[in-house]
Amino acid sequence: MKGKSVILIYVACTLILLVGFGGWAIAQRAPAGEPIKLGAVLPLADITGAQAAKAMRLAVKEINLKGGVLGRPLEVIVMDDEMKPATGATALDRLATVDKVDVFIGGMASGVHLGQIPTLKKHAKVTVWIGAASHKCEEAVGPDIDWYFHIHPWDYLQGESYREGWTAINKKYPHVKIDNWFVAYEEGAFGTASYKMSLDLYKDWIKIKGESFKSALLGGGDYRAVLRHAKEANPDVFLWLGYEADAMGFAVQAKEIGYVPPLFIGSPPGWPPGFGKSPLSEAVTLYGMWAPAIKEVSDVSKHFWEAYIKEYKEEPITYFCPLGYANVYVVTEAIKRAGTIEKAALISALKKTEYKSPMGEIITFSPSKIIKNQGIRKQKIIQYQGGEQQVIWPFEFATATLKYPFPSWERR
Amino acid sequence: MDNQRCGSFEYSTPLVYLGLKLISKLFHKKYQIAVTLVIGGVLLALWKPFVLIEGLQVAGLYAAIALPMALILGIVGIINLAHGDFMMLGAYLAYRFTVYTGADPLVAIFPVSLGLFLIGMATYRGTIKYMHGAPELIQLLLTFGIAIILQQLANLLWTSHPVSIHVGYASASATIGSFTFGTYGFVYVAAAILVFIGLFLFLRRTRIGQAALATGQNPIGAKLVGINIDRIYLLIFSISIALVGAMSVLFLTRHSIFPHVGGIFTLKSFCLAAMAGLGNLTGILWASLILGLAESFVKSFMGYAGWADIIFFLLIIVVIMVGSYRRRVT
Repeated sequence: MKGKSVILIYVACTLILLVGFGGWAIAQRAPAGEPIKLGAVLPLADITGAQAAKAMRLAVKEINLKGGVLGRPLEVIVMDDEMKPATGATALDRLATVDKVDVFIGGMASGVHLGQIPTLKKHAKVTVWIGAASHKCEEAVGPDIDWYFHIHPWDYLQGESYREGWTAINKKYPHVKIDNWFVAYEEGAFGTASYKMSLDLYKDWIKIKGESFKSALLGGGDYRAVLRHAKEANPDVFLWLGYEADAMGFAVQAKEIGYVPPLFIGSPPGWPPGFGKSPLSEAVTLYGMWAPAIKEVSDVSKHFWEAYIKEYKEEPITYFCPLGYANVYVVTEAIKRAGTIEKAALISALKKTEYKSPMGEIITFSPSKIIKNQGIRKQKIIQYQGGEQQVIWPFEFATATLKYPFPSWERR
Repeated sequence: MDNQRCGSFEYSTPLVYLGLKLISKLFHKKYQIAVTLVIGGVLLALWKPFVLIEGLQVAGLYAAIALPMALILGIVGIINLAHGDFMMLGAYLAYRFTVYTGADPLVAIFPVSLGLFLIGMATYRGTIKYMHGAPELIQLLLTFGIAIILQQLANLLWTSHPVSIHVGYASASATIGSFTFGTYGFVYVAAAILVFIGLFLFLRRTRIGQAALATGQNPIGAKLVGINIDRIYLLIFSISIALVGAMSVLFLTRHSIFPHVGGIFTLKSFCLAAMAGLGNLTGILWASLILGLAESFVKSFMGYAGWADIIFFLLIIVVIMVGSYRRRVT
């Protein structure tokens, strides 16, 4: 009996010691002191912005669980730009003066960013921006600024990337014809600017014929006329430039009028969540920076995918989600390399970025046409196959080969 | 032989007479639009058959959505700027119903119509009821406020990300020779005709419908003869919202939905109602037909799609101005 008591006391003491040591150990790892603050401005009513914000918070949580940055906790403050340039600029002012953030990260739309650039210049804080593709933003930033880092490819870089991609595909699979294109572009600023840029960028490469249409997002949604004109033109490639609200309509109405181009490409900023489930999505080609299938060829992407779903019980839908996640890591690793958040040291450390991102490629910074620090330059050519988005090009991230020609609407 | 000739003469005379009478009737003012449309339709069918087919389908969609608005306008006397947003709400409810039950979206017509009927009742009881007699600007502001609330609610509940449901029959097509066209769009034409006939029978053949017509024409007189006009307003408003709900399900089968999707249909429905004459249900059909065909015709020329909206509103302005001029002259 006495022996049993001694054993019990011994076990209890061991447990107490273990628990106590564990707690001490955790306390040792937990970051302490003033947090290092990152300030993001995103359209939170839009799912793209909302998911990017969630992904940023996920990255911050992971980093804090590993001890924070320079022994200090990391914090991200996200503000809503409501897709309005003035609100976006005011949000930056508030982040700089009230919240006193150390680095600006964010945002999304080019139109909003254009209105934010004067405010960014006023505060001149280190900025690492994930969104804004319009070259007008690049022109507004100008060539002399060293504290501005831009991760998203500019529109002309995207255009050059598609050219590189299709040329590579055509070289590898010569039966894939890409000489004559018909471009249906939404009549707003996004579609018109993209179409005009394509005409300019590809004038020595392919023949382009195009016509505008009214996007469902702006009160349209009847694409039959433009599809009939494309059918009459009989191009090698049919490309539509619009929004995700147009995705299903284009497929349904092309089937309706019996239009089956050899290549059917859509280029909206995001795709409707259920699009892949429809048999009409099979072999629809798209452009993007990321697809869930990349998790099959990239460990970082796999980790991001699983961690995001575990944290939020939803799947990441748009590429802004991994971009937001990547941005927090890009900044954090630079702060670690610099050993400080002092501006000059941080800029110098950011220039040395080599971050293996969930989008597949390694993010590095180098000058673009105008700005000093441009990150990603390449887009991806992706195709719906079996309900999933599969990467076709760049070949190093390919998860499937191109399905060509586009199958008839009936054989699905 | 003579008798036969005589008989043939006797038979042919009334036939010729009837034929001439029909032609003269067709040239009567009342039928001018119909005759023009028929002749135009035949020419279009020969020249650009898809313009006729797609124009009809677009017209059906516009008419089916605009008819309930015209009903509210004609009887309750309210310009409902939340009209399209009720349609958006119905479409989201149908979408959630379809995703949750896995049933065909068309099954949602009954629960969504009932739901929207109740929402219509609540909206009338809670807000519109107190706006009778208020200046039109206040009424407009009220329904505009309801529209914004519905949009923001949808934004918060379902995000701004467009959603759609694919059903195989929505892309059904038929081929005649080398000409392939969609057939599902005729569902909207059928819906418009059904709604029109249903409303016509309801307003002309039922006691409540006749009471509603009387209320719309002269609310004070209707009240004096013992009609409970408040109940009539409640019923008509709720029926209209329920009809928009039913239409929203058909809309969902072919379109993406998002919080702002209804705005343009409010605008177009209001324009059709203005073009047709306030509360004129027959006029809505004609106006939709003219605008649907005009829109498809303009779009059929490559590079001129951007003119479709200009033509749409230009036609409305012309019709309103001509109507106004005629009224002044007479």
